[in-house]
Amino acid sequence: MPSKPKTFFEQEVERIAEQHFLSKHQYIQVRQSKAFMEKYYGENIELENIAAAACMSRFHFIRIFKQAYGITPRQYLRDLRMSKAKELLKKGVSVTQVCSAVGYGSISTFSNAFKRGIGYSPLAYQKMNKSNLE
Amino acid sequence: MIKIYVTGVPVDDQEKALKFYTEVLGFIKKTEIPIGEHKWLTVVSPEEQNGVELLLEPVAFEPAKVYQKALKDAGIPGHSFMVDDLKKEYERLVALGVQFSMEPKEVGTNMIAVLDDTCGNNIQLIQML
Repeated sequence: MPSKPKTFFEQEVERIAEQHFLSKHQYIQVRQSKAFMEKYYGENIELENIAAAACMSRFHFIRIFKQAYGITPRQYLRDLRMSKAKELLKKGVSVTQVCSAVGYGSISTFSNAFKRGIGYSPLAYQKMNKSNLE
Repeated sequence: MIKIYVTGVPVDDQEKALKFYTEVLGFIKKTEIPIGEHKWLTVVSPEEQNGVELLLEPVAFEPAKVYQKALKDAGIPGHSFMVDDLKKEYERLVALGVQFSMEPKEVGTNMIAVLDDTCGNNIQLIQML
C-alpha cells in the first residue's frame, strides 16, 4: 500500500533536521548526559561528572548541551530537581527529606532555589497543594 | 509575580473537543462556565492539576477559521504536548482510532509526532530524548 504523502510540516522538519546542527554522535552524547542527570539527580553530582557521562570536556559539553536543549546542563539539572521536589512535596514528604532526595546538601540552598524557580517556599507550596486537595 | 495560567486551542465544537481531550488524550476537565452560547471550558494534565489550563476555545471569528484551516492543511501543529514515552502513546492513540499525519520521528534531542484532534487542529506530541 502506498504511504501517505508527507505534509508540508513533515517536509520542513526533515529539511531542517538535515542541516545537522550537531552530529548524530554528539546528540547521542548529550542524551547520555541527560539520562545520567535523570538517574543521579538525588546525588551530589558536579558538572564534571555530567560532562564525563557525555565523554566530553566540561567547556565543550556545556556548549554542545546548550545547543541541543536550549538551556545549560546546570539549568536542566536544577529544573529536574525542582520538578521532582514538587512531586514529593505534593505527596506530603517533609521538606528536609525532599531536600536530601533531590540532591541538595543544605535546606536554605534548596529553599532559595525552590522559591526562585517555583515562586513559593517549599513549605508554602506543600500547604497550597494540601489545601487544594482538601 | 506574573504567570501563565491558561492557553487556548481553537475548536469547532466544544463538546466534541471535551470528549476528545479527556477521553482520548487523557486530560481532566477543570472549569466549565457558561458564557453566552459558549463556555469557558478548560482541561488540565492529570499530573499538573494546578498547572497551566488548556482552554477549549470556540472559533467564532471567521478569519481565525481561515488561519486554522491553513495550518491544518499544511500539517502544521499549533499546539504541542509532552509525553514520557511517545511510541507507547502513539500505539495507544492509534488503537483508539486517532489519525496521525506524522508518525513518531526522531529529530535531534526530541521525538515528535502529529495527530488530528478532530476539532480542526494538528497537535504535536513530543518526547524529550
